[in-house]
Amino acid sequence: MARYAFLIDHDTCIGCHACTIACKSEHDVPLGVNRTWVKYIEKGEFPDSRRFYSVNRCNHCEDAPCVSICPTNALFSRKDGIVDFNDSNCIGCKSCMNACPYDALYINPETQTAHKCNFCTHRVELSLEPSCVVVCPTQSIIAGDIEDPNSKISQMLGRYDTKVRAPEQGTKPHVFYKGVDEAALDPMRTKILEDGMIWADTTKHHPTVPVSTPSIDKNIVARTAYTTNHPMAWKGKVSSYLVTKGIAGGALMVAGLLSLMGHSDERAFVGVYAPTAALFFAAVTGLLLILDLKQPTRFHYIFTRPQWGSWLVKGSFILLAMGLVGSLWWLGGVFDLSGLVRAMAVPGIIFGAGTAGYTAWLFAQCEGRDLWQTPLMLPVLLAQAVSAGAAALIIPIAAFDVDPAVENIVLWSLFGGLVAQAVLVAIEVTSHGSVSVEMATAAMMRGEYRGRFWFGVTVGMVGAGALALVAAAQGNIALGAVAGVMALAGLGAYEDAFVRAGQSVPLS
Amino acid sequence: MSLRDEMTNAARADLERLLPGSALTNYPPIEKWQDWVELDSKDWAHGKKTKRRFSLIPTTCFNCEACCGLLAYVDKDTGEIQKFEGNPHHPASRGRNCAKGPATINQVHDADRILYPLKRAGKRGEGKWERIDWAQALDEIGSRIGKAFREGRRKEVMYHVGRPGDDSYMERVLHAWGLDGHNSHTNICSSGARVGYAAWMGFDRPSGDHANAKVIFLISSHLEAGHYFNPHAQRIIEGKMRGAKVVCVDPRLSNTASMSDYWLPVWPGTEAFLCLAIARQLIVNGTWDRDFVRRWVNWDVFLRETRPDLECIFDNLAPALLDLYADYTPEKAEHICGIDARKIYEIAEHIGRAVPGRLSTHNWRASAAGNEGGWQTSRTLFFLNVLTGSVGTEGGTSPNGWNKFIPVPPKNPHPHGDWNELTWPKEYPLTHHELSILLPHFLKDGRGKLDTYFTRVYNPIWTNPDGFTWLEALTNEDLVGCHVALTPIWSETAWFADYVLPMGVASERHDVASYETHMGRWIGFRQPVMKVYAEQQGKTVGRTYEVNPGEVWEEHEFWIDLSWRIDPDGSLGIREHFESIKQPGTPLSIDEYYAHLFEHSVPGLPDAAAAEGLTPLAYMRKYGAFSLPGNQERVHEKVVTPQELEAARAVRDPEGVYRVPGTAGMHSSIDEVNGHMPFIGDGSVGVDIEGEIKFGFPTPSRKLELFSPTMRDWGWPEYALPTWIPSHVHWEKLDFDAGERILVPTFRLPTLIHTRSAQAKWLAELSHAHPLWIHPSDAEKLGIGVNGLVRVTTQTGYFVIKAWRTEGIRPGVVAASHHMGRWRLDEKTGTPGWTAGVVSLSGPNGGFGSGGTSSDGQWHMRQEHGIQTFESADPDSQRVWWSDAGVHQNLTFPVQPDPISGMHCWLQHVTVSPARPEDRYGDIAVDTGRSMEVFHEWLAKTRPGPGPGGLRRPLHFARPVKPLASAYRA
Repeated sequence: MARYAFLIDHDTCIGCHACTIACKSEHDVPLGVNRTWVKYIEKGEFPDSRRFYSVNRCNHCEDAPCVSICPTNALFSRKDGIVDFNDSNCIGCKSCMNACPYDALYINPETQTAHKCNFCTHRVELSLEPSCVVVCPTQSIIAGDIEDPNSKISQMLGRYDTKVRAPEQGTKPHVFYKGVDEAALDPMRTKILEDGMIWADTTKHHPTVPVSTPSIDKNIVARTAYTTNHPMAWKGKVSSYLVTKGIAGGALMVAGLLSLMGHSDERAFVGVYAPTAALFFAAVTGLLLILDLKQPTRFHYIFTRPQWGSWLVKGSFILLAMGLVGSLWWLGGVFDLSGLVRAMAVPGIIFGAGTAGYTAWLFAQCEGRDLWQTPLMLPVLLAQAVSAGAAALIIPIAAFDVDPAVENIVLWSLFGGLVAQAVLVAIEVTSHGSVSVEMATAAMMRGEYRGRFWFGVTVGMVGAGALALVAAAQGNIALGAVAGVMALAGLGAYEDAFVRAGQSVPLS
Repeated sequence: MSLRDEMTNAARADLERLLPGSALTNYPPIEKWQDWVELDSKDWAHGKKTKRRFSLIPTTCFNCEACCGLLAYVDKDTGEIQKFEGNPHHPASRGRNCAKGPATINQVHDADRILYPLKRAGKRGEGKWERIDWAQALDEIGSRIGKAFREGRRKEVMYHVGRPGDDSYMERVLHAWGLDGHNSHTNICSSGARVGYAAWMGFDRPSGDHANAKVIFLISSHLEAGHYFNPHAQRIIEGKMRGAKVVCVDPRLSNTASMSDYWLPVWPGTEAFLCLAIARQLIVNGTWDRDFVRRWVNWDVFLRETRPDLECIFDNLAPALLDLYADYTPEKAEHICGIDARKIYEIAEHIGRAVPGRLSTHNWRASAAGNEGGWQTSRTLFFLNVLTGSVGTEGGTSPNGWNKFIPVPPKNPHPHGDWNELTWPKEYPLTHHELSILLPHFLKDGRGKLDTYFTRVYNPIWTNPDGFTWLEALTNEDLVGCHVALTPIWSETAWFADYVLPMGVASERHDVASYETHMGRWIGFRQPVMKVYAEQQGKTVGRTYEVNPGEVWEEHEFWIDLSWRIDPDGSLGIREHFESIKQPGTPLSIDEYYAHLFEHSVPGLPDAAAAEGLTPLAYMRKYGAFSLPGNQERVHEKVVTPQELEAARAVRDPEGVYRVPGTAGMHSSIDEVNGHMPFIGDGSVGVDIEGEIKFGFPTPSRKLELFSPTMRDWGWPEYALPTWIPSHVHWEKLDFDAGERILVPTFRLPTLIHTRSAQAKWLAELSHAHPLWIHPSDAEKLGIGVNGLVRVTTQTGYFVIKAWRTEGIRPGVVAASHHMGRWRLDEKTGTPGWTAGVVSLSGPNGGFGSGGTSSDGQWHMRQEHGIQTFESADPDSQRVWWSDAGVHQNLTFPVQPDPISGMHCWLQHVTVSPARPEDRYGDIAVDTGRSMEVFHEWLAKTRPGPGPGGLRRPLHFARPVKPLASAYRA
């Protein structure tokens, strides 16, 4: 069986951008997005300075993270190794854009679906080379079958030292680089300087290191003189979704705890309000997810065309299950079926935790986003859910005539969740990870997102935690409600910083 | 079955692969071109396998001068061109292209292109237009020109061309019209290099065989620009991968410099010094080709003329040269050029190892186009070829004429006998070629006027220096009676025309061109693809505008039809040249023209066509290009047989040159020379080289002229030998502490091409920003902040631009590309919105756009806004994400014609300072009164003709539309 791959020969590439244009022509790629592009970097001091190029595109990975994360089989690996896509299946969730460690995917503004280099499969089917290969003046792009020992690419791979981009991501990329400067392949070693690029405008969508710190700057050996747009894929709707599903899952978790601790007979509060809140925020969660899709009307493909390896699919089913549990719980509350309410406590805790926690696996599938790969992601999400759920319960609790013990449990849950969150976040930001994690953390704590992050920490964790402690110690539900509001506001700010900072590290 | 299997199998189901197994190839074989099935790439993305049927029709690119092969994919269902790929049968481009090739599709489909003939409705430059038809345009323009001809005002008709992209058609038209009305873009481009090359070998252009060289020495940025970017880049890289050392001389870190083994960022204008230092070192090292120099260089003339103290024997040449170039040591070069002497020693060693014959060199624009005396750059560079015996060799540099073929057109008219002093003024007898940059200055100085002025894909207001003086001349109807812009695209100049006539791009016109891309000769055929396609479908096409987009036409047919309008009854003797050969009395058709030309004027083509059962024209329509048979190596060594000498009635002169009576090389009266003179040379046919009669070079001595008697005889004896002339911007003349710097305003990017690329949205997206490159140390010294606005002051005005700090430029030098700074005066119409900002112009006597009369008597340009999204039929026009439209710096440059070559010396002696508070990005101010003063200052540097024999110009020099010899008499 054939295994197609590219070899880019940077001993001969003259940085002319013909490949970029031939690709635009072959696929009618709109302005603002690219399937392949040439990056320029500049090193050295006059007169010993030099410009280096790297041709960037989909790596047609053996273990393609975009394929693993794609919920609807829109992306798929062909038997010949080419990673191709099918527009008809794409819901525009953009998860592939965060899964790919190479910035290879973009949303086509014409189709509102994810596109990338597909090796010109429609040409390869006819034995024609991809259009970038054909146009190249210096024949610096070699496409061929690496399983065929007589192919030019096999011969060159045998004879020459080659490198790949981001091998540490374990994706087994299949674009091989000969004669390339290492910094030209490593986006964390170059930076767009303040006066921009050589002959194109620099926008906030052009990838560059997000912050300057001594240890990050020490790593930078060249300036990025030319690159292309790569806008952030997930923004406010995704960070909001993290909050709403935290509330939804957490409400069931804390209420489940109340139920297990013998308070299931608080019909209005435990039986009705708690599941109502959970269902409401679960519904908002679903809505946010759908609104974030570039093809919102195709949201049901997740259920009708599922790719079971994707945590977007698994998560959606967990959300559905949580909704079912919450609904039964609510029915139990409304119709005063205390047995049903009690019976839902354990499933509520399980699926509440699942709802809150599955994102840890989803984010782990985002191979491009090292900040999100932290093993603390799951405990953080659970702690956030406990405090968010408790906040949602404590805020209106005065309206319910509940046993002070209930108030107590909710207040201590709020406090406990916040303490756990604060401790976990502290561990997370002080532990040493890869350069990418360090950069994202710095972006979060010292860079563009520091306002949101520190608001989240000071107001949402420390401030809310201190108030929650006092409230719990004094049984002061009004104070507890204030703490709850602060916790939710802080959580929103923190999540937004976390989501955006995670995507602020350049991949190309 | 999984989805992936389904996709794969479905696609494979009934498609035949071109090759077995997994093998891939670049193009379908030519047998399949007329009926080629490809899969739709967009439908493929939907999992659908839609077959698209194409006819693949070859043509050539119309962007840069290289004329690379293109293959237009005409969709047989929609009848539209889907895309352009390369032509694998094109000998120069070999199926490959730069970014500008495939971007041709943008130019074809640009939603805002000019589709119909337009006539001015308001005042010139007011931007009011009415659509007319071709008949009206032809009638009005034709009768106007006919009137001028009948009234004896032929000199008032001028055709001004940018890059022609064609080799002979227009020469024929102008000869037929009896008109010395050709004007070119040459002296904003290559006049400098041409004079340097012509001094050595007659031919004014180099042809490096880079692929086979051991050292490739470039005073150019050939891996991204130049003649001929894509074909040469292919071969330079081939040579490099075979082990050649690449040397690149450029004050700026070009992409070429980046790929070189040696980047030599010498002080601008000191390149000739560098070359002479290397030449001297070759002699010191004894690594030069003594045999070649002895045989082929006029060293004897050199010794006789300059060293009467020495016996005129070859062994005295080296000592005499070492005496002559005693000052040109690597150490002195280190001081003058500003590069490490050790590099010069190293490079001289590399070049020494390339002896014999393996040094390829190239200079075309760069230094030769930048500096006063820049013509010595190409001359001293070619000196290295001469010393290493790398002339005409494999791996060396040939005269371009040996690797280029210009077919003689059918019904070739007798040469015109006119001399136009607006283009060939007496001050510049040695210029290569027309003093085109001075046209508005001459007009303003009262040296003449124009009745009808054609600009053909030429944009002098934007491209040339001193654009405001152009604007003043072009808006003065007393100076320019009628301005006709023949153009595929709106431009700054077309805006000031009376007629804007849409002419085709690469797939919409006929041309034949040939270029010296490698060792060998070829011709490329540009064709109107939709016409060829229609004919494939059995349809008959009258004029190409019937099948081109809108009513876009081609010039070839336009000139035929216009000539008929000029001379409807044939009384002017013009019409006959545009009548059918087979059916006199009816117009010549382009098919007939090319059928005849390919049949009779291209050796080998009729045979190649016959072998395939095709007519020569059908062969060219099928392949789009033809490689002429024969070996072009060491053409100078070709033996001239006694029979050939006899046939030419050649006579041996005392120097051993075989001259032909009645030619420029041998006559008692100039009137004896009647008929077409050779484009280059004096008509001599051979030279005695050590007892053998050889073909030689088209110089008067038929040898390579180290000592140029022509220079001596035409007023410049001090430059009879290769030497270094300190530039008008030589660094030792600058007061750096006062903020003076050298501005390099001429560098190209690999992605753009002057006026033409403005229609290509993809190219505009790739490159649009226009910073001023400045070394960080200079920025610090001058107080220019990061991203700071800079005011660059020239002799006639200033412009305001943004700084870009880079280690890729020599301190003391600042640079900005010449591609950007496009503008339009109207929000809706004008230079394409992908690249142009909207500006207002305020002038001493009123303004344009939203500008008015300026308060200080100067011209002012202000950018109203940069590039923005705009309304058009193309949804991409709403996706424009960039805003920088650049700064039209050329407006602020006075004309600086080199007194010998006529080359506009592009480099500017400027003062660089932080912008003032009132300055805005893109601001420009120019005093055109001062422009005229500077023009006169440079004019005063010349040594006007006539030269020997009372001639206006040496007869053996190249000249476009060469007149009868008698016209040379002053």
